[in-house]
Amino acid sequence: MKIVVAYKWAPNPQDASVGVDGIVDWSRAKSGISEYDPVAIELARRLADATGGEVIGLTAGPTRVDASLARKAALSRGFDRAVIVADDALEGAGTTELAAVLAAAVRHIGEVDLVITGDSSVDVGARMVPAVLAGQLGWPAVAEVTAVSGQAGLLRVERDIAGGTQILEISGPAVLAASTNAAVPRIPGMRDILAAGKKPVETLEVASLDVPARGTTVTVTDTSGPDLKARKHQMIDTSDPAAAAAELVIALRGAGVL
Amino acid sequence: MTANTWIVVAGDPAIGNLIETARALGGQVTAAVVGPRAVADTIAAGGVDQVVWLGDPGQAPVEAYALAVADAVGAAEGAVLGASRPGDRVLLGAVAARLQAAVLTDASSVSADGDGLVVTHTIYGGIAEETVRVAGQVALVLDGGPVPAASGAAPVTEVAAVPLGITVVETNASAFEQVDLGAAARVVGIGRGLRTQGDLAMIEALAGASKAEVGCSRPVAEGLNWLGKDRYIGVSGQHIAPELYFAIGISGQLQHMVGVRGAKTIVAINSDPNALVFKDADFGLVGDLYQIVPALTEALK
Amino acid sequence: MSDGSEVDFDVIVVGAGIAGCVTAFQLAQQGRSVVLIERGEAPGSKNLSGGVLYCRGMEKVFPDFLDEAPVERRVTRNYINFLNAESSVGIDYKDARLAGPVNAVTVLRAKLDPWLAEKCEEAGVFIMPSVRVDHVITQDGGTGKRVVGVQAGEDQLRAHVVVAADGVNSFIAQEVGLRTKPPLNHLATGVKCVVNLPRETIESRFNLTGDEGAAFAVVGDCTQGVGGGGFMYTNTDSISVGVVLRLDDLTAKEKVATEVFNHFLSHPFIAPYLGGGEVAEYGCHLVAEGGMAMVGEIAMDGLVVVGDAAGLTLNTGLTVRGMDLAVASAVAAATGIGSALDQMDTSKVGLAGYREAFFASPAGQDMLTYAKAPGFLEIERMYQDYGELFGNVLYGAFNLDDKPREHLVKVALKAFKKSPVKIRHLISDGLAGVRAL
Repeated sequence: MKIVVAYKWAPNPQDASVGVDGIVDWSRAKSGISEYDPVAIELARRLADATGGEVIGLTAGPTRVDASLARKAALSRGFDRAVIVADDALEGAGTTELAAVLAAAVRHIGEVDLVITGDSSVDVGARMVPAVLAGQLGWPAVAEVTAVSGQAGLLRVERDIAGGTQILEISGPAVLAASTNAAVPRIPGMRDILAAGKKPVETLEVASLDVPARGTTVTVTDTSGPDLKARKHQMIDTSDPAAAAAELVIALRGAGVL
Repeated sequence: MTANTWIVVAGDPAIGNLIETARALGGQVTAAVVGPRAVADTIAAGGVDQVVWLGDPGQAPVEAYALAVADAVGAAEGAVLGASRPGDRVLLGAVAARLQAAVLTDASSVSADGDGLVVTHTIYGGIAEETVRVAGQVALVLDGGPVPAASGAAPVTEVAAVPLGITVVETNASAFEQVDLGAAARVVGIGRGLRTQGDLAMIEALAGASKAEVGCSRPVAEGLNWLGKDRYIGVSGQHIAPELYFAIGISGQLQHMVGVRGAKTIVAINSDPNALVFKDADFGLVGDLYQIVPALTEALK
Repeated sequence: MSDGSEVDFDVIVVGAGIAGCVTAFQLAQQGRSVVLIERGEAPGSKNLSGGVLYCRGMEKVFPDFLDEAPVERRVTRNYINFLNAESSVGIDYKDARLAGPVNAVTVLRAKLDPWLAEKCEEAGVFIMPSVRVDHVITQDGGTGKRVVGVQAGEDQLRAHVVVAADGVNSFIAQEVGLRTKPPLNHLATGVKCVVNLPRETIESRFNLTGDEGAAFAVVGDCTQGVGGGGFMYTNTDSISVGVVLRLDDLTAKEKVATEVFNHFLSHPFIAPYLGGGEVAEYGCHLVAEGGMAMVGEIAMDGLVVVGDAAGLTLNTGLTVRGMDLAVASAVAAATGIGSALDQMDTSKVGLAGYREAFFASPAGQDMLTYAKAPGFLEIERMYQDYGELFGNVLYGAFNLDDKPREHLVKVALKAFKKSPVKIRHLISDGLAGVRAL
């Protein structure tokens, strides 16, 4: 069974700094494996180990996603090999463009039975790449997946819905987005990182893949800091909890929210 | 000529905000609906110009109709809108793939401008905001909003749809009680400052006394599993704008606070005077929540 | 003596700071197989801001260091200052000779460490980030315990030599018994922050052109009587500023490090330099201050200790040196390890070349020369009374009020009378200073 896990190498917005003009400065933010991706890798690893299958890591982005640190970080987490589309033409690429490149790479890998992704990326967090990727491939997509078992051609998927869980059967390849807490990912040990150095990596450029031309142009016309409400920042002395509570209740009633 | 706007619906008619946004763009508004007939009818009465109904999925989940929805939308020229829910995202994604449409999320304003769109949205988990001009196809993921009130009667056209190969084999109810935090006027949020699951009773007492729902930060729902995921407020959870929000034992990191930015009044209770949460609070109480929360519950009686 | 068992690498280096990276780099250049283990997600993530690097040693390791490495400014202006509550007495030393050849540059570790790690990788070092070594693996040998590898979680790696480059609080050095926890008067806490300012502002405030830089060493009121000092260095478009405070004195004087730090930043002498700037980074870090007294054994069977982990830092009163000593110890370690591997003897005796090479180097010689420095700097008077004394003497000279002028000697004697400093102190401190510095 061939399982592809699409992962992202990206910085955490918490480490970025935003000027008053809204321009985001990523220079002090270090990239890493997007926080929910290891959950997806864990689900893939379990299924592959149960069925004697192969887990292939796949990512697409500017050339820095193929840096030595990035490769090690990815390959030490449970991949058997990786396919990396590293191309500076992908700098600033949006959801649809990345999904198109990933779809082309999945077709290039060939005979893929399942693609698993994390719930969302750490930097953009749109939660749309799995859906658009599935659309590009013509496969079903399911999100909030907590478990996957079965074999190629008949997958058994457990997923969260509002108010409960569902078990689905999928008769063919699919794209699954793992729910954020579907599994506790393993922490790579020294042996994993050492082995990562020896795993095969195929690097591709966008030009070598069959990717449809970009349809839409999105032009940024203005940036600003987030539109935050001005807060009162009124501190209430808590040396006497009962008095503090009373004072707060009066203030909240006065503000008309209690 | 103003382009027409499509809305995709994955079985849940709570798309009032999508209809309002679509109407404001001018042009015709058509909804592609997967779900029971009643849902198609509610939407037909809710202010759209036309409903294309792909039928009741039956034993299949709505996701099985993603490609059929993309077929139904066809070569649309205007924007396509979808609600920020798992099933709706899948349908919208298939349409975006078919149209090679750009995808934008977290828009706070959408308007037509000539033959393009101007969209203002927050980016990178909420650290900044940008306004963009879109020329070409675009798919927008927006907060669905409420179920639209009846205001008209658009025609419903049923189309045949071939589903993908997924079926529902089993459905189980959750151990957690369901909640719609977005509809609550007051919410009490609890974070890692709470030491044990049993202490939730104290928080629930406050919620009861203040007629509020209970919400939480990510670790409490996902990591500790003390509360259902529909109570997790944050960047990849609920985005709410209640009248009053209590942030109790919550450090105030961006990933959580971005979910309550719209709250009218925020009260923060935390033992760390340097906690980030006080920067985003209208009222701040530095102290032991195990003393302040019961005192507050008492004061509200 | 070869231990005969299989090794994963010739050398394991723990800690990808300056000492670790340079040791790994040089060993890789010798053709050894080296793994460099770092507990942070990326090298540099656990090190705080930066400082002044006396770079002649680094230039010998990387010949194009000044052009290739991400250094900030070349220090051409050194300012030594006694700061009192209301006055400051300083020596502003600017010298064109310090610009060529450059001997000191300011650096930011968040930029420098990743660059060093990259050089290591290019040389063939296997970098292993995000791994925290739990302990070294030892086995009983003929002459006592021998270190044969490291353990992290469930995994073990074995090597002929392990290099402990894990910083001032080196748990490895403590674990193997080469160092006991250092007494508090050898440890200080550094509180620093990086303040962003446009480079033109920095250049005009500090009177610099191009990539010239300034380094300020400050003692006195800035540390509110706590042993230590303040510093301020110019980076390209930011200023590193902070205080280093002796831990034992901090406790004795009942002060809180962050309060002393804030006092320093808001001192009327310091504040104007930082005005309008934006605090980018802030933090605390342990600093070793002990000089030779802190350096014990730095090698045992199968293990050497380098850099801060070996206690190799030097506070001469005018300069604070840690990074260049890290480089020197790394170079010496690579030499010693290289010959030990060639002789197939990685016992303490076989590794003795390291200690020899270090104390023969200019930096090592400096450690011996300044052996008495910490004692000198411990003298209370340095921190409070001399500053006040000089301030008062100069006040007498410069305060042209409506009274007739007094002879400077009289002014000095008057100031002396008021000051707790006595003539005999002057003499003994003077002698101690001369001997130490």
